[in-house]
Amino acid sequence: MTKNLLNYSYYPGCSLHASAKEYDESTKGVFKALRIGLKEVPDWFCCGATPAHNVDELLSLSLCAKNLSLADNVEGDLAVACAACFSRLKTTQHRLTENDIKRKQVETAIAGSVSLEKPVKHLLEILAKDYGLDRLADAVKKPLTGLKVATYYGCLLTRPPDVPELDCCEAPTIMENVIAATGAEPVSWSHRLECCGANFTLSRPGVVLNLSNAILASAKRAGADCIMVACPLCHGNLDIRQKEIEEANGTRYGMPVFYMTQLLGLAVGVPTGKLGLESMIVNPLPLLREKQLL
Amino acid sequence: MSRIGVFVCHCGENISRTVDVERVAEAAGHISGVAYATDYKYMCSDPGQGLLKKAVAEHKLDGLVVAACSPRMHEKTFRNAAKAAGLNPFLCEMANIREHCSWVHEDREEATAKAIDIVRLMVERVKKDKALQPITVPITKRALVIGGGIAGIQAALDIADCGHQVLLVEREPSIGGHMAQLSETFPTLDCSQCIMTPKMVDVANHPNIKLYTWSEIENVDGYIGNFQVTIRKKARSVDMDKCTGCGVCMAKCPQKKIKSKFDCGLGTRPAIYVPFPQAVPNAPVIDRENCTYFKSGKCGVCAKVCGPGAVDYDQQDELITEPVGAIVVATGFELYSIAEKPKGSSIKGYGEFGHGTIPDVIDGMTFERLASASGPTGGKILRPSDGREPKQVVFVQCVGSRAREKGISYCSKVCCMYTAKHTMLYKHKVHDGQAYVFFMDARTPGKSYDEFWRRAVEEEEAVYIRGMVSRLYQKGDKIVVMGSDVLVGVQVEIEADLVVLATAVQPRQGADSLAQKLGISYDTYNFYSEAHAKLKPVECATAGIYLAGACQGPKDIPDTVSQASAAAAKVMTLFAKDQLEREPIVARVNERNCVACFYCKKVCPYGAVEEKEIRDRQGNLVRVVAYVNPGVCGGCGTCQATCPSKSVELDGYTDEQVMAMIEAL
Ligand SMILES: Cc1cc2nc3c(=O)[nH]c(=O)nc-3n(C[C@H](O)[C@H](O)[C@H](O)COP(=O)(O)OP(=O)(O)OC[C@H]3O[C@@H](n4cnc5c(N)ncnc54)[C@H](O)[C@@H]3O)c2cc1C
Repeated sequence: MTKNLLNYSYYPGCSLHASAKEYDESTKGVFKALRIGLKEVPDWFCCGATPAHNVDELLSLSLCAKNLSLADNVEGDLAVACAACFSRLKTTQHRLTENDIKRKQVETAIAGSVSLEKPVKHLLEILAKDYGLDRLADAVKKPLTGLKVATYYGCLLTRPPDVPELDCCEAPTIMENVIAATGAEPVSWSHRLECCGANFTLSRPGVVLNLSNAILASAKRAGADCIMVACPLCHGNLDIRQKEIEEANGTRYGMPVFYMTQLLGLAVGVPTGKLGLESMIVNPLPLLREKQLL
Repeated sequence: MSRIGVFVCHCGENISRTVDVERVAEAAGHISGVAYATDYKYMCSDPGQGLLKKAVAEHKLDGLVVAACSPRMHEKTFRNAAKAAGLNPFLCEMANIREHCSWVHEDREEATAKAIDIVRLMVERVKKDKALQPITVPITKRALVIGGGIAGIQAALDIADCGHQVLLVEREPSIGGHMAQLSETFPTLDCSQCIMTPKMVDVANHPNIKLYTWSEIENVDGYIGNFQVTIRKKARSVDMDKCTGCGVCMAKCPQKKIKSKFDCGLGTRPAIYVPFPQAVPNAPVIDRENCTYFKSGKCGVCAKVCGPGAVDYDQQDELITEPVGAIVVATGFELYSIAEKPKGSSIKGYGEFGHGTIPDVIDGMTFERLASASGPTGGKILRPSDGREPKQVVFVQCVGSRAREKGISYCSKVCCMYTAKHTMLYKHKVHDGQAYVFFMDARTPGKSYDEFWRRAVEEEEAVYIRGMVSRLYQKGDKIVVMGSDVLVGVQVEIEADLVVLATAVQPRQGADSLAQKLGISYDTYNFYSEAHAKLKPVECATAGIYLAGACQGPKDIPDTVSQASAAAAKVMTLFAKDQLEREPIVARVNERNCVACFYCKKVCPYGAVEEKEIRDRQGNLVRVVAYVNPGVCGGCGTCQATCPSKSVELDGYTDEQVMAMIEAL
């Protein structure tokens, strides 16, 4: 076996073991192809996601703090794929670093010490900064030439301003840079940072139909062939609900919504069968065939 | 044996609430060398000062300690009283038992003990005080005004009208500043050019004003009453004495596509140009960066067509040194640009507004040029992108201002008013158009200001939406403005044809380096600092330098003109005397001990230390020592703290005095 170039501990989060299995699968495929080691944190559990921090801040911080201390058992910075888990873990580090009282409360709650030193990194950061865009471009076997991609950040990857430390919160470029390294063409579009409606998908789906429609319309207006996301919830709203959105607004998009690692996987030669393309609701195959990417 | 008087003030209850003032007076009476001690409710009042004067005479006092507030507050008051009582004023010192004691402590016992200690220290200091004589320096009765906007113009005219010579230095080819760019002005909507240009002409014709345009300050030496300023007169490439201002050169210049800075990039100008037709002086300059002759050596058309032969390609920058007695700084402001800012800048720019890449998103000054009858569109409101008349215009206030996350927390003060003005000018020109304004608060204090704003809302039908804008993006030929209406609690989206941003008022770039040349202080944003926010709003802490206009903080024209006239009045007050008296708290070098390391010269913030040559009778150089110019010395004592051979001491703060104070503790 060839030696890995980089090694990370890995926190997949619940979605990646359920509705976003294809994100997990393609992430592992891409990292393997790039010779980046990923070792799953043993016994990791839910970060608390939106429900926990809406109900009880201490609960939310404690869940993440416990996961962070578990992550200490595995070597390497902590790689996170889901934008929400990433946001919760970073927020916890941020809050507990600046607030000693909270930190003590959390230590009591988890009956152990809090460790905040391990860097928490989103996949984008690992690819763009640690691995490097040049190396990524070199690893491309099948350039995604001619594929126009609307890179969708959603809310949590860059906000609130001081927390994620991933890129500029108002005008980020990291997603565009990563996908451009594969030869694809990121389009310039207006809604890459607007909210998709997120959790309202369950309680007030009307909100989602509205907000996600604006995102799809904007991507289409900009001439995108597809949307690229890094968040299971955004994916759900844009992909799973797309038909409903079309019906509610009397439009037709047929816009495939890929996880970033699915597109990267195509480019760096991960076997198509290992990218979970078949579990996408809006069928991407006609597009990929048209662009001769299959 | 000294005969010192100690006067303990109650300051109403400010001191007596926490300090037992009677006990302090009583204890002071027992300090050796104190001949008289008492307390009084308000020492600074007329009866209080009377009591002090009477005591000096009755008890033959030869030194005074007033235990009261900070010396910054009343040292002058009591030194004047001492002088009136026949004592040398520098034998009177303040013991600060208010700011340093009663205001910061709660425990009465401890505060009283501390107050007694403070008094004891000051008694020891006064024992070693020497009678000092005020320093007099001559005054050069000529003023320098830096910046030829309305502030500089007003200050220069006032000083010149009073009979004094003024040098007015402006770095652009013409005076006028921002006011020359404005269309009509709030709160009366009179035409800016119409009220501005007569003043510009007055400057040009005034026998007492020497105008240096296309010039900058290279260096400033000296001190109040006696500055030496070096002015860099940049090569204009046109001989001002020969030029008649006929304009043929500009008409014939083949290079015509240069974006006009004066028109905010909307119009174009030739390479040899005056920034605007009413420019003063009316002689053009050659923009050497864009001139074909300077770039390739070919062309030379302007020289050929110039009748009087005024074009001079070989002209060089000139350095001119002039003596002046006072300086008025009036360098004005510039507007925040929403473009991406260089890394490390504390200012962030607006990514959410596209970092300035959407052509029909303009700033307020650009709108002024669109609305100006002498502007690039002849006063028609037309979009920069396609020249169409916009039917929906969105104005956004507080862009950059009051936005800590963007690097600026202050209010820019003029935007609420000029945005209201813009909505009116727009409505007057585009009758079927609709103006929307996103605002945080409408801040309209000022005479006739709120009435003006209400007219915009109530009569001219501007729709004011309280809330901020989160994003602007281009959609077809519209700009979508996404914002919130916080009063109704809904999100708002408007498809606009033109968006006007009221961007923050900032100091000029390079304001800090000019301040360093002048030795004046500035705040974290680079606005120049006044000596006292309330009581010395036009003076700098550096004596002889005054502030006028927006370089000190955002200001509208009425405030700017008032401050300019106030600065001029300060200059005239200074020039009213022939000699200037200065406090003699200055450093003195013991030339015998000085080892000429010149650490003092390096650390002196006032540039007061010089190298002095000591020669024998034959004129041979024996030694070089440090010399402190008493006219320049600010009395800070940094040299004294730095000197390794203990050869420099500040009068009133000698090592001996400080040691005596420490020993008394
Ligand atoms: C869009 C807009 C609309 C406005 N409308 C109104 C209005 O309707 N009514 C109203 O009362 N106010 C209005 N104002 C405010 C008004 O513009 C200011 O009050 C006024 O211009 C301030 O004058 P100033 O002389 O201090 O500065 P400026 O006008 O900025 O003049 C400064 C001058 O100094 C020169 N300078 C700068 N640095 C140097 C240097 N280092 N050496 C030499 N020269 C230098 C500059 O070139 C310039 O000529 C408006 C402001 C804006 C932005």
